Parts: sequence; C-alpha cells; structure tokens
Amino acid sequence: MTSSPHIHDDGAAVAARAERRWATLSIVIIVVIAGVAAFAGIHQATMPQVRVETADPTTLHIGGEFVETNLGSAAEPDGTVTVRAIGQRYSFTPQCILVPTDTPITLRATSSDVVHGLLIQGTNVNTMLVPGYVSVLTARFEKPGEHLMPCQEFCSIGHEGMWARVKVIDKAAFMNMTSNRRRLDCVE
Amino acid sequence: MSAESVFSLRNRWFITAVGITAGLFLLTAVVGLIVLPYAQRDVTFTSIWDAICSAAGVPQVRSSAAPVQPDFKVSTVVVTASMLGQPSQESIGRGATLAQQCAICHGPVGVSRADSPNLAGQYASAIYKQLKDFTSGARVNAIMTPFAVSLSEQDMVDLSAYYAYLPRLPAYHPEQGKPAPRIVVNGAPMRNIAACGSCHGALDNKAGSPWLEGQSAAYIRTQLQAFASGARRNDISQQMRNIARQMTPEEIDEVAQYYASQPPQSRRASSE
Amino acid sequence: MLNSRRLILAHFWLAFGVFGLALLLGAWQMFVRSPLQAWISNPEWYYRSLTAHGTVMGYVFPTLVAMGFGYAISEAALKQALIGRRWAWAGFWLIAVGAVTAMVPVSMGLASVLYTFYPPLIGNPFYYIGVVLVVVGSWIWVALMSINLHVWKRDHPGEPVPLAMFANVAGSYLWAWTAVGAALELLFQIIPVALGLRSTIDAGLARVFFSWTLHAIVYFWLIPTYIAYYTIFPRAIGGKLYSDPMGRLAFILFLVVSMPIGIHHAFADPQVGAGFKFIHSAFTALVALPTLLTIFTICATAEVAARMRGGRGPFGWIKALPWSNPIMLATALSFVMLGFGGAGGLINMSYQLNTTIHNTQWITGHFHLIFGGAIVIMYFAITYDLWPHLTGRALTSVRLMRAQLWLWFIGMIVTTFPWHWVGILGMPRRMAFFDYSSPALAADAMSVTMSAFGGFILVASSILFFAVLIQNRRAPQAEPGEYRFATAIHPPITLPAVLNGHALWIALMVGLTVTNYGFPIMQLLVTPETSVPAVYVGAEK
Repeated sequence: MTSSPHIHDDGAAVAARAERRWATLSIVIIVVIAGVAAFAGIHQATMPQVRVETADPTTLHIGGEFVETNLGSAAEPDGTVTVRAIGQRYSFTPQCILVPTDTPITLRATSSDVVHGLLIQGTNVNTMLVPGYVSVLTARFEKPGEHLMPCQEFCSIGHEGMWARVKVIDKAAFMNMTSNRRRLDCVE
Repeated sequence: MSAESVFSLRNRWFITAVGITAGLFLLTAVVGLIVLPYAQRDVTFTSIWDAICSAAGVPQVRSSAAPVQPDFKVSTVVVTASMLGQPSQESIGRGATLAQQCAICHGPVGVSRADSPNLAGQYASAIYKQLKDFTSGARVNAIMTPFAVSLSEQDMVDLSAYYAYLPRLPAYHPEQGKPAPRIVVNGAPMRNIAACGSCHGALDNKAGSPWLEGQSAAYIRTQLQAFASGARRNDISQQMRNIARQMTPEEIDEVAQYYASQPPQSRRASSE
Repeated sequence: MLNSRRLILAHFWLAFGVFGLALLLGAWQMFVRSPLQAWISNPEWYYRSLTAHGTVMGYVFPTLVAMGFGYAISEAALKQALIGRRWAWAGFWLIAVGAVTAMVPVSMGLASVLYTFYPPLIGNPFYYIGVVLVVVGSWIWVALMSINLHVWKRDHPGEPVPLAMFANVAGSYLWAWTAVGAALELLFQIIPVALGLRSTIDAGLARVFFSWTLHAIVYFWLIPTYIAYYTIFPRAIGGKLYSDPMGRLAFILFLVVSMPIGIHHAFADPQVGAGFKFIHSAFTALVALPTLLTIFTICATAEVAARMRGGRGPFGWIKALPWSNPIMLATALSFVMLGFGGAGGLINMSYQLNTTIHNTQWITGHFHLIFGGAIVIMYFAITYDLWPHLTGRALTSVRLMRAQLWLWFIGMIVTTFPWHWVGILGMPRRMAFFDYSSPALAADAMSVTMSAFGGFILVASSILFFAVLIQNRRAPQAEPGEYRFATAIHPPITLPAVLNGHALWIALMVGLTVTNYGFPIMQLLVTPETSVPAVYVGAEK
C-alpha cells in the first residue's frame, strides 16, 4: 500500500503507516505458515501420493493387482509390507487389515463402484478412494492394537454400515505368519 | 482517470500485481513440482522430467509384482447399472421358450414350490449374473450347473429378460405384518453389516443384487450359510461373504424368516 | 434511496423462509444421529434430509441474501434506481422455481446424493436441473450488478465507486466465475448421465470441477458479511471506516485468490498430482491475507469510534463501544466465531494436518462455525439494519434482537465445538447412525448429544428472529430516512483506476484459474478409460 491515494494530513499518514505495518506482519504470518507446510512435507515425508495411477473399477475382481486373493498384507523382499484393499458398497475387502508394528507400510487401495473414503482412527491414514484411480499412501504403526476403519465418504444408503478394522500385531508374529500365507488379513 | 489505462506496462499497479501473481505461481510451482518430489525419501525418479510429470499428476503405469492368483473360479461378470438395457419382445419370447426347462424347479410362472428361488420379476442383471457364474464354475450347484453350461450367451440374456418381465406374484408362505428385524433395516455397523435393504431392495438396490421378498426361508438361510463358510464365493470381491460371516446364526434365521414372509414389492412404473 | 423494496423484501423473505425449513432439517439430523434417539428405521431418510439441508443452505439461502442485499447496495450506494428490475424479478423466480424443481425429487428420495453430488452416484435429473436454474437465476443478478455499476460510472466519470458497490460487484464476479466449475460438472458430466444419454462418468474429473466451486463459494457467502463489516458496522456504532483503500484491497484479494485454491479439498484424492496440491495449498494460505487485513481495519475502526465516545486505555476503550446496539453485538460475535473458525481453517489448508481430520466431523463442525456462525449472524445483522428501510416500520425490540443474536452465538458454539472434537477422534461424516454402545465410539456419545442440544438452541434463535420480523409488521409506520453506508475517515477523492474497477483483478483471477486448474483438468480429460459406470440412486426398488 505504498501508493495510498491522496493523503492530505498527518492523521492519514499515521493511519497508512499502521496499515502498512499490519499488512507486512500479515504477509509474514502467511509466509511462515506456508513455509511450515513445505518444511513438514520435506522432513516428515508426509506428502500426498507421488504418482497418479489408474485402474478399471469394473474388472478389479477378474484379474490383476486387486483380485480378491491378492488383497491383504504382503511382505515385500525389501522388508516393507504392502497392503492392498478395495472399497465397495458397503464393505472394504479385506474387512480386517492385519499389519505389523515398526514396519514401513504401503497401502494401495481403490474403489470398485462409487467414491469411498478410508480412515484409520487414531492415525494419520486418511485417503479418498475414487473409482478409476489407485490411492497409495505410506504409514507406520508404532504400537500393537486395534483401530476402526470407517468409510468417511458418503457412498449411498448403507454408508453407515461400512466399518472395517485394522489390527496391528508384533512384527515378529506377523513375519512368522507370512511363511505359510502369502497374503494376510485378520478376517475371522 | 478513465484515461488511465489499466492494462499498460506503464501502470505501476499492473506491473506489480501481475508480477507478484506470476512470481508466486512460479515459486510455488518450482517448490511443488521439483523441490518437494525430490525431497521424498522412498522415491527415485529417472529424470527431472519424470519428477515433474509425477507431481503434475500424469498417470503412470505401475510395476507391480505378480498377484496371487485365485485357486478357485471367481466371478468374471462385469456388473453395471446399465447392463442388459431394454430387452426386445423377441428376446423375452425366446426366453419364455427356454424357460420351460426351468419350470420344474422354478415354477411355471417363476414362483417356486420347491425352495428354489422365485424368479418372476427378478432383476435381469441378478439372474444373468448367476447363470454366468454357474457356467464359468464360479458358483457350483449339482442341479443348476448342468443346465447352465448348455446355455449360450444369448440364451442367458433371453432367460433373464423373460423372468424380469414376469409379474411379481406373491409366494406361498406369506405371514405378513411381522416387524422388520433390526438387521434388515439398520444392519450392525460395528460388524460391517449394512442394512440388507440398502442393496436388496426396500431401501435401495445395488446392481447385480436380487430383491428377496417372498423367497424361501430355507434357500436364503442356505445361501447365507454358504457365504459365511466360504462354500459359495461368486460374490464379487467378497461383498456378500463380508456380511454373512459377521452374522450370527440367529440373525441369519431372522433374516430368512422375515424376507420369506414378505410380499413382493410392486414394480415401479417404468422398468429399465 | 430504496426503490425496489418489494424485490429486496421478496429475496430476503424467500431466503429466510427456506433457511427456516432447512434449519429444522439440520436440527432433526443432529437429533436422530445422536444417542438421544434410537436408530431411524430407514437410513435413507437421513441422507434425503441431508441433501435437502445442504442444497438449500449452500445454494439457495446465501445466494438469495447476496442478491437481495446486492440490489439494496446498488440502489443505496449508487443513489440510482435499479436498472433491469424486471430481469431481477426473472432471476428471483428462476431461483424459486429451481429450488422447488430440485427439492421435489429430493423429498421423494430420488436424489439422495448430497449437495456435493458425488458422481458416479446419480440421482433424478430434475434435482440437477433445479440447481442449474438457481445458478442461472443468480447469474442474472451478476449481470445486473455489472450493468448498474457501468451506467453509474458512465454518469460519474472519475468518481470513486462507493466501497459497498465495489465489494458487491467483486462478489458477483467471484460467484459468476466460481460457479463455472460446478456448471461444467453438471452440464457436461452429470446431467447427460442422469438423463440416460451416457452411462459412464469420470468421477475424478468431476471432483476437480467441483473443487473449483466448492471453496470459492464460501467466499461468495462471506462477501455480504464483509460488506457489512466495512460499510454497515462503522456507521452503526457511530464511527467511520478506518481505511477505504484497505477495504478495496481486501475484496480484490478475495476476487483473485479465493478461486485457484479449491484443490485443497482434494488433498486426499488420488487423481490429482502432489505438485498441484502444494500449489493450491500455498495459495490457500494467501487467502488468509484479506481476512487479516479486515480484522485490523475493523478493530481500528472500532477503536477510533470508542475513543471518540470517551474510551480510554489500551483495552479499556472496548467498554466504550455501544454494546446494546445489535449490529455491534453481531459483529463482535461474528469476529469471535471467525477467529475460531479461521484457526480451524489453517489446519484444513495444509496436507499434513488435514490428514488427521479430513472428512471427519471436524470438517462439518468447521464450516458450520464459519458459515452458519460468523457469516449467517451477519446476515441477521444486515436484515435488522435494512429492514426498517424496506418495510417503512421500525424494529421495536432491541432486546429481542440481542437475545436472538446471543442465542445464535451460543447455539453455534455448543453445536460446533463438540463437533470439532469428535472429528479429531476420527468420527466419519454423513452417517445416518452410530453404534454408541461400541467401546470405540462411546467417547463420542456425550459430544454428539451436546451438539444436538446446540442445534435446538439454534432453532430457538431462529424463532426469535422470525418473531422480530413479524413484530415489525405490526409496528407503526416510521420514516427511516435515507439508507446510508459508512464513510471513511479519509474518504477517497480520486482513486487509481485499478482500485476503482475490477478488470485487472478478473484477468488475474482467470489467469490463476488457468495456471492452477488448467493442467489438472486437461490431464484428466485426456487420460483414457477413467470413466466409470454410473450408479443410480433411488431408481429401482
């Protein structure tokens, strides 16, 4: 506001000066906020998914990554765990996801019909499932325990019944289980 | 003042406003499209172009490990709301002829006396999907499988069209007036059971799901038990197994009794 | 000089009429999903009600308020009879007809898709057509505001446009452009599918189009409130506006930066690249700037006015403000809610913090506090301020007005604070009922019950609001005098062209839309095979 128009007296000059100070402060506040977001993005690796991927929702069940026997948790050679899941009206498959503690987890999920949302309570795992696209996010669970995993997006009548669960178990126990099953879940 | 041109390189406001806006966009674009992608720890990019394209949202082909293939037959039907469309009179007519071989179990007008499913007025997509699954082996039944494997694709379409066309008749065992059990209207959210009615009619219909009013209690019970045990696995991506395995035997019984006691809902004016 | 009183009254009555009905639905929703009530026997009723509540509160009510207030500003600030009054009535009736057209299928349960549409869910085509009619009706208003300003400028060359009108027209341009996103989604994606001309739809693209509208629409709702801060509040407390150019700058910033930031609603969406999410996040931070400037200017305005009234001390002047004045009270309460709501907004705007609360009850709590609280309380204030000039009768009960405003404030706080809290606990949005008997959800029960009582307080407040307006009908006729807007301490004598017109800022708004939305939209358009089968709602039983 350097060119505040037609300032005629001292009062106006004082007012303009106060305004300029406040405007500068406001801009500083905003730069700090944006900076913090960028910093968090870099140092805590909490950026949105890196790549956009597509998947045909109508044929997920016939073959490929999201065929039902490939859903669940898979131990990868590099020591990480990949969890694959789908959302459909009105359940996630698997409806109970099993993950180990202290392990980098990559969640890959998509929807076979409408828009769903996947939220693991008590964690930062929270993403949309949009039919046609694959949602990918990374997570790490520190403590064993159980979490609820509701669908957080309206997916038509029946949405209120779409609650799955996540069970976090000790890493060693999880790895033991992978020796006789290639895809794990905690569905009973 | 009207002489003062806004869109002019001599207007300081114009230069400043456009400059700041463009500068902000460029700054955020460089940070968002180049700096932040490279700051990701677990990701490697083949080139700066790869990083920019990824961050801009260009879809990429995944390189996924070989999936674990099913050791059983899964349903291969693609179910959509607009499948089968408007049947022709000819298709319905052919279906009527073909349906004569089904009448022993499913009744001459699509209403069974033998605990087989009633088919009169059933959704075409639901009938078609089951016929396809019997043919492919995704669903197995000692009586139905031999019938189904002899059907051509067109036969299945025609049969579905015919039965969908038939009027919905009341079955033989209605004891109406029972209040709907909670599991039917509300489900059990914490056990991931949505209300039955949100897919099977009454509240809403999900494409490929049948409506259930007036079906035999024995049939509904058997199928729910088969889904729960995993003996029946032709529900796409476990959508029905997820629900059935969470139900108690009492709830399964309650649901079966309730639907068996209900008269079919009258068909809406225009059918698809 | 208010010539079009019937026109303005019609807008306000229709606005508050539909508001009252939608408020009852909202309170009912709070009640039925709380532990106070057993699970409803048909969850579909809940989503039906939710669709109606959102559509009316989001599209119909604020649009009518902005339009009615806009016509009043055009006449009172420009001192010029409204040009195109017949067109204005046509716009009004389009909105009325559109609202009814949309609400009939919704009330029949044929379009329970929520006001955010959510394709591939597809409801009855008349629902979408009704919404389009509402938007088209409001575009007539946009055109009329532009024409009226243009004619005034032609007749008053070189004179500064009154701030109220400058802001009003900025708001109308903002709305015209921000509505384009949803219009593209409706006209080219949803309606053809709803009519059965196509059976597939790209849900990812539709979400990006909708985000174009979804965020900036909030600023369209906000602008009448900000106009009231700048041009009604100073006059109502017997003071003058601290700075006129600062006000213009705030509205210009809204015009430029409230649009190209909508993808922050799609942080968790898989179809948008991370880079564009960051760009939108950064610009979202920028949109806090006009609000920070406004807080300064309005607080300075209040302080100057209070010191003129004999207020002393660094904070002691606050006591000298005319607290018994409903406009003073409403503005102060609005600021408090804006402060809390804005702080919540800072959490939503960054991808990192957003992940903890995305699509939880926090979000609903947030926008109810900002829109239902900070914004709507000023809609009440505008109504109280304008009403005697519209009806020619005085508003007699200042105490009733104050009680109404306090109840609204208390109701909003009681409703939204627990709402935010259960969101942090991870309670998902838009569910017809919850199993509070589950240990995992038992902690939510108390908060949800409190929210429901907050909803009842809001209903009580709205009853008082209508009582004030109905009392006014029985009050004796009184000449209210000319309807004036606040003047600045240093009124501008001449202004640089950029501060007296919108052209540059519209160009920047469109330019930023192209840079921030162009690539994501083009990318999704050319990506093959991402159209998915439509899922029809309520079509077959």
